[in-house]
Amino acid sequence: MAGVLFETGVAFLALALTGALAHRFGQSVIPAYIVAGVVVGPYAPTEIAGVSLALVTHGEFVTTAAELGIVLLLFFLGLEFDIGYLLSQGRELALLGGVDFLVNGAVGVALAYALGLGPLGAAFLVAIVFVSSSAIITKSLTDAGWLANPESRTILGTLVVEDIIVAVYLAVLAAVVSGGTLTGAATSVAGSFCFLAVLALVAYYGSNHVERVFDVGPDELFVLRVVGVAVAVGALALSVGVSEAVAAFFVGTAFSTTDLVERIEHLVTPLRDVFAAVFFFAIGLDTDLRVVGGVALLVAVAALTTTASKLASGYAGGRLTGLDARRSARVGIGLLARGEFSLIVATLAAASAVPAIRETVPPFAVGYVLVMSILGTVAIAHDGVLTSRLA
Amino acid sequence: MVIHEVDVPGVGKQYEVATNGGTRFVVIVHHDGRREIYRREGADADAEKLFDLDAATAREAASVLQGAEFQSLDLDDVAVPLGDAIMEWVEIPADSAIAGETLADAGIRAETGATVAAVQRGAETFANPGADTVLEPGDILVAIGSRAEQKALQSLVATDAGETA
Repeated sequence: MAGVLFETGVAFLALALTGALAHRFGQSVIPAYIVAGVVVGPYAPTEIAGVSLALVTHGEFVTTAAELGIVLLLFFLGLEFDIGYLLSQGRELALLGGVDFLVNGAVGVALAYALGLGPLGAAFLVAIVFVSSSAIITKSLTDAGWLANPESRTILGTLVVEDIIVAVYLAVLAAVVSGGTLTGAATSVAGSFCFLAVLALVAYYGSNHVERVFDVGPDELFVLRVVGVAVAVGALALSVGVSEAVAAFFVGTAFSTTDLVERIEHLVTPLRDVFAAVFFFAIGLDTDLRVVGGVALLVAVAALTTTASKLASGYAGGRLTGLDARRSARVGIGLLARGEFSLIVATLAAASAVPAIRETVPPFAVGYVLVMSILGTVAIAHDGVLTSRLA
Repeated sequence: MVIHEVDVPGVGKQYEVATNGGTRFVVIVHHDGRREIYRREGADADAEKLFDLDAATAREAASVLQGAEFQSLDLDDVAVPLGDAIMEWVEIPADSAIAGETLADAGIRAETGATVAAVQRGAETFANPGADTVLEPGDILVAIGSRAEQKALQSLVATDAGETA
């Protein structure tokens, strides 16, 4: 028991230290958390000056906490899901999401076929390279003071559509992975959509009752109730082969129209951030830098091509929403960072039955996210270099 | 005046006010209650961040903007020698009904409850004026009293000579 507690302590200290470093240098914490996992994890570097650095193993606690991180990340995505906003901006958002998905997804397909990963591999790569990081980008926009500029609405609108596409996408991918064969996959997809449809209906019609049921005075009872429901529904979903993350997303939507949103944001966000940090840390633990080095060329090619495609799709999105050339260019720059969702998809790929996917996709995703998260943050902070000539 | 309100997905709401000079005053209210204040030189300019306020500070700042009486300090924490009373400076207009009367005749204490602690006349100050002090137009009364008493005094002083005649 002391061993597990020691490992957990080391894990949180490593996260605190790397997080503080990232903050100090104006970087996103996500790559820092992954690096923390790599450093204290079982793979190289395993020692520094004779002192062992293989301090933390990917044990049950890390696995569970990382899982909670995924569930809470998606729960919050659901919480911020604003049906009124979607309906009022429907046409524009569909256009933004469509261009974004097609342009960047095409690059993902091309990469997968170049590697001979087949259609399932393509499905994974499409999601990994297409979806920008809401967490990193929202934070960077706030830090850079772009929030009040018109391009921010296009950037954030695009993120909203991307998040919805990813939620649907995860549901399908999880079902396909757990289904195995083609017919198995088809039944599994159908089954999970039935489950999610029921969940969505309950979320939609249950909203009125949610407010009453969750109206408890003491904060700790409130937090326990919210987390309890999100995790339990996620577990129920997982037991019938449905993505727990997507189930948590729907639980979040049940709260999104209630007055509880502010209270949840206030009280549960720190919990989400702690567990999400462990999720990124766990990815670092599983990362063997030599394997990532083996896919370095792929990462480099993907980073170059998808940077170009994001800049292009972002520019097109900006123009479609009536922005001038400089602001449209900024939309592309703003959307460069990839992060949490690419990694969640990669976690799914690690469970795939196809060896080529299992061995290539997760290390690729880690390398890719490390590069793109840093590139995206730096690009927003120094956009002037890129856009000044368009002024 | 038009205030533009738009959703900022995942962040909160943005309010934009065009000021008289054409500069825009932008407020972003985050879901967690934090407010960011920006300024934009014009419709095409980039926003420049000015302030970051938490919800409580923002509300106080808003009451200043609104012109509501603000409390400069928390009264519970400061030893206030006057208790509930406040000190105000009231100028006697030329056509005031009480101009030319003595403090006693004007009935300031009797009618309003406020006490005149001093009378300023030009560069001179008469501290603790007697009941027989004659008030002149342009005098400034330094009065002590509750808010209600101060209000009564102001309306008494503002009554012009024509009304009472």
